[in-house]
Amino acid sequence: MSIEDFYWLYDLPPQRSAVLFVAVFVGFYWIGSILLRPILRQFVKHTAGCNDIVGYVLSCFCVFYGLLLGLIAVTAYQNVADAGSNVTREAAALSALYEDVARYPEPHGQNLRWLLRDYTRYVIKYAWPLQQKGIMPEEGTIRAAAVHDQLLEFQPRTPSEEIVHAEALRQFNHFLECRRMRLYSVKSSLPDSMWFVMILGAILNIAICWLFDMRFITQLVLGGILAAYLGTMMFLIFDMNQPFRGDVSIKPEAFEALYVRMNEG
Amino acid sequence: MGDRNPAPPPPQAVPRRRALADGAAATLAAARLLAPALFTGCSLGVPPRARSVTVGLLHSQTGPLAISATGLRDIELHAFEEINAAGGILGHRIETRAPDPRSRVELFVRKAGQLLDHGVACIFGCWTSASRKAVLPLVEEARKLLLYSVPYEGNESSKYVVYGGMVPNQQIFPALDWLMSPAGGEKKKVFLVGSDYVFPRTANYVAKKYLQGKPLAVVGEVYLPLGDRDFTATVRRILDSGADCVLNTVNGASNLGLFPALAAAKIDPTKLPVFSTSIAEDELRGFVPEHVRGHYALSCYFQSLETPANRRWISGFRDEFGFDRVTGDPMEPDWCLVHLWKQAVEKAGSFETEAVRQAFRDGLSFGGPGGTVRLDPKTQHTSKFFRIGRIRSDRQFDIVHSSEEPLDPDPYPQVAFPGWSVDWTTGGVTRGPEVDIDGDV
Repeated sequence: MSIEDFYWLYDLPPQRSAVLFVAVFVGFYWIGSILLRPILRQFVKHTAGCNDIVGYVLSCFCVFYGLLLGLIAVTAYQNVADAGSNVTREAAALSALYEDVARYPEPHGQNLRWLLRDYTRYVIKYAWPLQQKGIMPEEGTIRAAAVHDQLLEFQPRTPSEEIVHAEALRQFNHFLECRRMRLYSVKSSLPDSMWFVMILGAILNIAICWLFDMRFITQLVLGGILAAYLGTMMFLIFDMNQPFRGDVSIKPEAFEALYVRMNEG
Repeated sequence: MGDRNPAPPPPQAVPRRRALADGAAATLAAARLLAPALFTGCSLGVPPRARSVTVGLLHSQTGPLAISATGLRDIELHAFEEINAAGGILGHRIETRAPDPRSRVELFVRKAGQLLDHGVACIFGCWTSASRKAVLPLVEEARKLLLYSVPYEGNESSKYVVYGGMVPNQQIFPALDWLMSPAGGEKKKVFLVGSDYVFPRTANYVAKKYLQGKPLAVVGEVYLPLGDRDFTATVRRILDSGADCVLNTVNGASNLGLFPALAAAKIDPTKLPVFSTSIAEDELRGFVPEHVRGHYALSCYFQSLETPANRRWISGFRDEFGFDRVTGDPMEPDWCLVHLWKQAVEKAGSFETEAVRQAFRDGLSFGGPGGTVRLDPKTQHTSKFFRIGRIRSDRQFDIVHSSEEPLDPDPYPQVAFPGWSVDWTTGGVTRGPEVDIDGDV
C-alpha cells in the first residue's frame, strides 16, 4: 500500500476531504479509547505521578513531531509554489515567443501564431484536466515539436530577421525548459517514507494520550480535539502533496490570460 | 501414569483479542475497498464518473502534410467538444487521442496500430492515399472503422472505411465538363501535373479515360516526388505543350514550388489557368497572393460560401481556435463525417463497428456548412456538391461554379474501371478485369 492508493481523495470536494480526515483521526482516537486504552493503561496505572510523566513525554514528542509536520508542510507548499512558478514562467516565455514570431514574415508568422495558440488552448482544455488527475499529458509534446519545426523552417534574410529569429529560438528553448519542469512536477509528491513517519507519529501521539489518567469523557473531548487538529494538518499536507491536484493546487490562470490576449488580434 | 486413552480436548474458543484484531482488520480492509465508491461514486455533491469512449485522430501534425492535416485534427476536436458539451453520444463522453504520424507512411501504420491496441472505437484520419492504404489492413483486421475525409482517386472500397471526400466523378469529371463548356472557356488542351503517388496517378488515369472521344485533349503528363518543390522543368514542359489549362493533382507543400515557378514563367491565369484538386484556404496561406491569384480550385466547399449555416460554423470554429483561422475542404467534409458517425452510433445504440455499419443502411444525411450530405450505404461514400473557386488576393475564393445538387459518389466509374462496382448492402465489391493505371489509355 502506498499513498497513491488514497489519491481518490482528490476527487472529493476539499471541505469533504477535510471532514473525512478529521473524522478518521477522531474516530480512531475514540475507538482506541474504548478498545486499546484499558490495555495501555496497564503499563502506567501503578506509577506515581503518571500524568506528569505522560505529559512530559507528550510535550517532548510533540516538539519533534510538530517540527516534522511543520517542515513537511513547508516542503509540500514549496513544491506547489515551485511548480506554480514554472507554470508562470512557461506562460511568460510563450507570451514572449508569441510576440517575437509576430514580427516574422508571412506565412511563417501566422503559422507560428496559430501553433502557439493551439498549444496554449491544448494546455488549458486538455493538459490541465489530465494533470488534475495526476496524468502527464502527452500531446503537448507534439504541438511543441510542430512549433519547433516551423521555427527551424524559417530562414532569415535580413539582419533584423536574424536578430528576431535568434531571440525567438532562445525564448523557445526557455519555454521548453519550463514546460519540461511543469511536466515533471505533475507526478512530484512527498515520498512514501515521509508519509510513513508522519502517520506513525500521529498514531504514537494519540497512543500517548491514551495513557493519561482522567475521566473517560474528558479523555474523549481533549484527545478528540488533538486528534482533530492532527487530522487537519494531515489534510493540509495531503492537499499540497501534488501540485496540480486538490484545493491547494495550481490553476491554468496564466495560460488562460495569455490565450485571451492571443485572441485579441 | 497418564491416561492411555485421553479424551479429546474441548474445542478452544477464539481468544477475544484475536477476534477483535481480525474484526478490525476485516473492517479496515472493507472500508479501504469501498471507500472510493462510497465517497466519489455515491455521495451527494460528487458527480458520478462519466463513461467515455475514445476515438483516434490520425493526422500529421509535423512534416510536409501538417500544413493541410492539422486543420482536420482541429475541426474534429471542435466537433467532439461540441458533442460532449451537448451530453456526448449515448451518454458517453468522447475522448480523443491524436498521435503524430509526422507525414510518414510507416508512422501512420505504427500509430494506427497503437490506437487500435488502445481500443479506440474508430479512427478519423489519413491524408494521402498511400497512408490510407497502409492503414487499411490494420483497421480491417481489427474490424474498426476508418473515417477518411480527403478527396481521393476512387478505385477502392473497404467495408471498414467511410469515405467522406470527393471521388473523381464528383470532382474531376464535372471539372473537365466545365472546362469544355462555354463557361469554362471551351478549353482544348489540358496538361496533367501531379505528385508521384497513388491519388494523382489514378485520378489522371481516370481523367484520361473520361476525356477519350471528347474535345479536350491531354497534351502532357508529369509527376514529381511528394515534397519536391523544383518545378522549373515542369513549367517549361507545360509551356512547350501548348496547353490552355492545367489539371493539378500536386499535393502538400510541393504546391509551394509549383505556383512560384508558374509566376516566374509569367504564366497568365486568364490564358493558362491551373485547376487544383488539393488546394484549399489553409494551403493558400503559404503562397504569395500574386503567384496564385486567378487560378482555380476544385472542391465541395469554400469558406466564402455565403450561407447562414456556413457563417455560423466558421464563427463557432474561430471562437474556439482563433479569430484568423480559416476553414476549407476537407475540413467541412470531415465535420460532416463526425456527425454522420454520431448519427450512426445513436441509431445503432452502440459503438460496435458492425452495429454502426448496419445503421449506415438507413441512409444517413447531415446538413453541413456546405449543404446537405448523404451517406450512400452501398458505397460508404458521401454525396456532395461540386464547386469551382477562383483564387482571390485575400487568399479566399470566388465561387464561379456550383453543381445544382449534391452529386452521388461512384468509386468505380465504368469509363475507367469497367465491370467494377460495390454494394455493401448486398455482396460488397464486384470485381471486373484488372486495370493498369500506369498503362496506355
